[in-house]
Amino acid sequence: MSIDVAVFGVMFVVVLGSSIAMLFARNAVHVALFLVVTQIGLAVAFLLEGAYFIAAIQIIVYAGAIMVLFLFVIMLLGVDRREALNEPLRGQRPLAVGLAALLAAEVLYVAYKGSDLITTGGGSQALQDLNADPGNVKALARVVFSRYLLPFEVTSILLVVAVVGVMVLARQMSAISPVSARSGSSVADKEEAA
Amino acid sequence: MSEWPFLDIVVFLPLAGTLLIGLIPRARVGALRIGALAVTVVTFLLSLGILMNFDTGTADFQLGTSVEWIPEWGISYITGVDGVSLWMVMLTTFLMPLSVLASWSVERRAKPYFIFLLTLETGLLGVFVSLDLFLFYVFWEASLVPMYLLIGIWGYRNRVYAAMKFFLFTLVGSLLMLVAILFLYFSFPGSPTFNYQELLGTPLSLGTQRLLFLGFFASFAVKVPLVPLHTWLPDAHTEAPTAGSVMLAAVLLKLGAYGLIRFAIPLFPDAARELVPLVMTLAIIGIVYGAAVAIVQRDMKRLIAYSSIAHLGFIVLGVFVGSIQGMSGGILQMLNHGLSTGALFMLFGALYERRHTRRIADYGGVARSAPVLAGVFLFVALSSLGLPGLNGFVGEFLVLLGTFFRYRWWVVPAAFGIILAAIYLLWAYKRVFHGPITNDANLRIPDLRPREMVMLAPILVLIAFIGVYPKPFLDRIEPSAQKVVDQLRDSSALPEAAVGDADAP
Amino acid sequence: MPLDIPAVRLTGIAPEIALCATALLLLVIDAVLGERRNRWYLPALASIGLGLSIYFATEAWGTTRLELSGMVAVDGFASFVKITLAVFGLLTVWLGRDFLVRERAEEGEFYGLVLFAVAGMMLMAGAADLIVVFLALETFSLALYVLVGFRRRSLLSQESSMKYFLLGSFSTAFFLLGIAFVYGAVGSTNLYGGEDGPGIVSSFMATGASDVGLLILAMGLLIVGLGFKVAAVPFHMWTPDAYQGAPSPVTGFMAAGSKIAGFAALLRLLDVTLYPLREDWRPLVIGVAVLTMVVGSVLAVVQEDVKRLLAYSSIAHAGFVFTGLIAANDRGVSGSLFYLATYGITVLGAFAVVAVLSGRDDEKVTLRDYRGLFYDRPLLAGALTLFLLSLAGVPVTSGFVAKLVVFGAAIQEGYWWLAVVGMVTSAIAAFFYLKVLVVMYMQEKETEDAERVRSGPLSTGVIGLAALATIVLGLYWGPLIDVAERATLFFAGG
Repeated sequence: MSIDVAVFGVMFVVVLGSSIAMLFARNAVHVALFLVVTQIGLAVAFLLEGAYFIAAIQIIVYAGAIMVLFLFVIMLLGVDRREALNEPLRGQRPLAVGLAALLAAEVLYVAYKGSDLITTGGGSQALQDLNADPGNVKALARVVFSRYLLPFEVTSILLVVAVVGVMVLARQMSAISPVSARSGSSVADKEEAA
Repeated sequence: MSEWPFLDIVVFLPLAGTLLIGLIPRARVGALRIGALAVTVVTFLLSLGILMNFDTGTADFQLGTSVEWIPEWGISYITGVDGVSLWMVMLTTFLMPLSVLASWSVERRAKPYFIFLLTLETGLLGVFVSLDLFLFYVFWEASLVPMYLLIGIWGYRNRVYAAMKFFLFTLVGSLLMLVAILFLYFSFPGSPTFNYQELLGTPLSLGTQRLLFLGFFASFAVKVPLVPLHTWLPDAHTEAPTAGSVMLAAVLLKLGAYGLIRFAIPLFPDAARELVPLVMTLAIIGIVYGAAVAIVQRDMKRLIAYSSIAHLGFIVLGVFVGSIQGMSGGILQMLNHGLSTGALFMLFGALYERRHTRRIADYGGVARSAPVLAGVFLFVALSSLGLPGLNGFVGEFLVLLGTFFRYRWWVVPAAFGIILAAIYLLWAYKRVFHGPITNDANLRIPDLRPREMVMLAPILVLIAFIGVYPKPFLDRIEPSAQKVVDQLRDSSALPEAAVGDADAP
Repeated sequence: MPLDIPAVRLTGIAPEIALCATALLLLVIDAVLGERRNRWYLPALASIGLGLSIYFATEAWGTTRLELSGMVAVDGFASFVKITLAVFGLLTVWLGRDFLVRERAEEGEFYGLVLFAVAGMMLMAGAADLIVVFLALETFSLALYVLVGFRRRSLLSQESSMKYFLLGSFSTAFFLLGIAFVYGAVGSTNLYGGEDGPGIVSSFMATGASDVGLLILAMGLLIVGLGFKVAAVPFHMWTPDAYQGAPSPVTGFMAAGSKIAGFAALLRLLDVTLYPLREDWRPLVIGVAVLTMVVGSVLAVVQEDVKRLLAYSSIAHAGFVFTGLIAANDRGVSGSLFYLATYGITVLGAFAVVAVLSGRDDEKVTLRDYRGLFYDRPLLAGALTLFLLSLAGVPVTSGFVAKLVVFGAAIQEGYWWLAVVGMVTSAIAAFFYLKVLVVMYMQEKETEDAERVRSGPLSTGVIGLAALATIVLGLYWGPLIDVAERATLFFAGG
């Protein structure tokens, strides 16, 4: 119980802190990174509630896929080249290369071991626990595809509206002056966030 | 009894007439005038049918129709006239063609002018004949808009301010009345209805009655107007175009008094009885204050406006005094004031067209160049100040008589008001039509034109006729007046204490 | 183990489906046919979709049940609101067509977004679960955010879109928090409850009415979220800016549509679900209502821009509808529906006139531009006069009747003082409607227009229809109020 409270407390501080930091950050990349931290913090909150599946989704979809897209967009729009040259943290680059190599090794290892990794030993036990009958995934599926079928479907309409909206706004932004080009990215943000 | 629904035709004919006016191209001002005149004259002639078919000996409502309108809410289209509303209807239809004549000089934007004037006529007539509170309210408010536009578009320099003030004052009052109407509607024990005659019997506690009476009173007191609420009137009267002033003074102000007689007293008799001293005090203040302020006015139209406040004070006094003489006199006085003040505004309007100034000081010696105008003005002024033999005397005398029977000492300030009326009217007459000529333009004022004579003659005839032989008018008023007096005096089991107390001094 | 797939009957959301399908089809057709000079088929298709949704909504009239696992209510109330919304949508599409042609900016997305917005609003009317209310709210809000920014070449439009979006998401966050609190307090988000699970009130009663504080707090948050959509004070800040910046047809649609959608959800939530707790929420809502009426009316007085003026008027009108909501009786609910329907038509008509007069780029919208309008274009000015008088609540117009019915309901329930407040604020409000009349009738035009903007045939039609409806519903309103009353009899579960 007490550890829950402690984790919650840390999560609370991290989520709130990074959200506020996001508002005040001046660099678009920093904003995106703070958002990643917030999303991960929220994933922790889901874990605390025992919603493992959603926690994983939160990390994979939001902190992972969407934020990477964000970063791509920001990079494509062009971060100032001068900024890329100065390096506030000494030794950042070698560290990054090292970490990337580590990640690559990990991925290769998992690929090599294949499904054995999760179907045997402790991994298998964890997976079975997760999939036990009132487990996370099944329970979620049952609710989403039965009782909450309509909300689930309405969400798709919501996304369609968002996409159409983005198209319209993007076209109009390019139709006006460069003044509003800056707010173009934030409009894209808002549609994604929705 | 005729099968013809004269009443409803008369009410809606002017509105239908706006369609006719709408068809005339806006450049053809002459045709527009003739069209408006034709519509109003036909309306008046048809309204004579109401007068002919009116049954004298009864206080019941007559000649009306009753059709379900919105049954879901118990709203019907119910009309009818009794001795009170009959004369108001006649006054309106009678003065309207004359107002059109008085508007002969309107060249600018004549088309909407006549359309609004005719719409106004329907609104006013509708108020007088409605016997369903919803219908009544619809007409009551609907008549506001054309009047607002008439003042605001065709008025004088300060017209926008005056029109705004007029509209907002009246609107606040009416909206409070609407709340009271709705409250009454939901208090009615039977199936919900806005039917006036059914609502008459609604049992209400004295406290509720008092609140509802005040709701209605707020609206009517603004319209009358009673003194603390009167400030819109001088502005509206002064800034309105001639026909607007005529309709305002002659008919619109009567809506307030009429509302008191028709709705406020009969619906809430106990509260009305309780508040008699208050209302009478306000009426007396109005008489003295209106007259006193009129004396010092430099603007002729403002002077007439303040004189209206004083006269309306007389009417309210008569209505609330609780005797048949007072009530009949008050109602007759409504008619008289409409005639004489209407005529005063027409006469001054004619004068204004010649000289384009409202300041009394700019005139002087007009009688030399326009003797007929001066004579007619004097005649009407005498009627307005209550010279025996003319109509004003009959009404005011009856009111004073009625007051004397019930509240002896209240007569003193009221009579004082009549003296003041003589002062301000005769003094103004002297300054405008006699005395030294200070401005040469006054020497070249043309006298009354034939059109203006035609416009004034019927009023002069009626002024003299009522003054000499008011019986046909009083005969029709009295049964209905008696009914209201009975309601005001002893309609329920409530002790007579309130009236008794007021009687004591 | 198998999933027990619930019975899926689509009658409840057939109107919404029709609209979404039409919208998608429309977007595809527009993409396939490309940039043609005259894309008449787009508004035609949109109109067909809206017509279909009216048909489906009428089909559902008379039934009273919950569908799709208790997520939507199929009842007279929903049908009434849906039909009204479809009518608003039709008027908007027609107005929008003229507007887009004039601005040379015709895009299929406009119609698509309008249809999606109407679909979202419709879903709001039938929603029987707070989750659905939330999603519906988001759907139509998102569409509206984009529509507000639909004026090309106008930074004002973009700015107001942004403002609307930011404040809107803020309020939605409140709403979401409210849902969470409701769930926390009673363990359900369903407005009615049934075989699929308990409802808010039944769960609340089951827990022994202990956590009323939390539930009231949650209710407050929900009211914040919905109050934003209906432009109630103190959640009204976005209204003037968004109204001013949006293209005029969209402003009309926003005023008419989001108001009725927001109030539909509020009425179902407060007057049906939380009716047993009315003594608890009434003080809160009364406070909001009084504030809304007073602030809306008073601030409108100083406006110089017609669209901002109508924005404040729309705030004041939200306050008037609240009086019907507070009464919470049959007359109150039906009166509110009547009010919203007639207000919507009137306000759409008013914005139609504004749209016609605003000229190219939609920019001539200050009072100065309306000087002497009556002598220049008497029919347009006359129509606008009618709409303004209706908004002011002068008899012979539908606006008067609407005020009569909601204030009547409040008086019937004993809230006569609330009606007095409403009347006094109406009188204040009348001042600024009169101000427009003063400008139109009593002032002279300053300069001649270089180019006289013509009213397109569709705009003319919309204005004519709205004017006709305003008069007819002011004189012969029995049938509509009857329908509204019967609509409230068919409240699912209530």
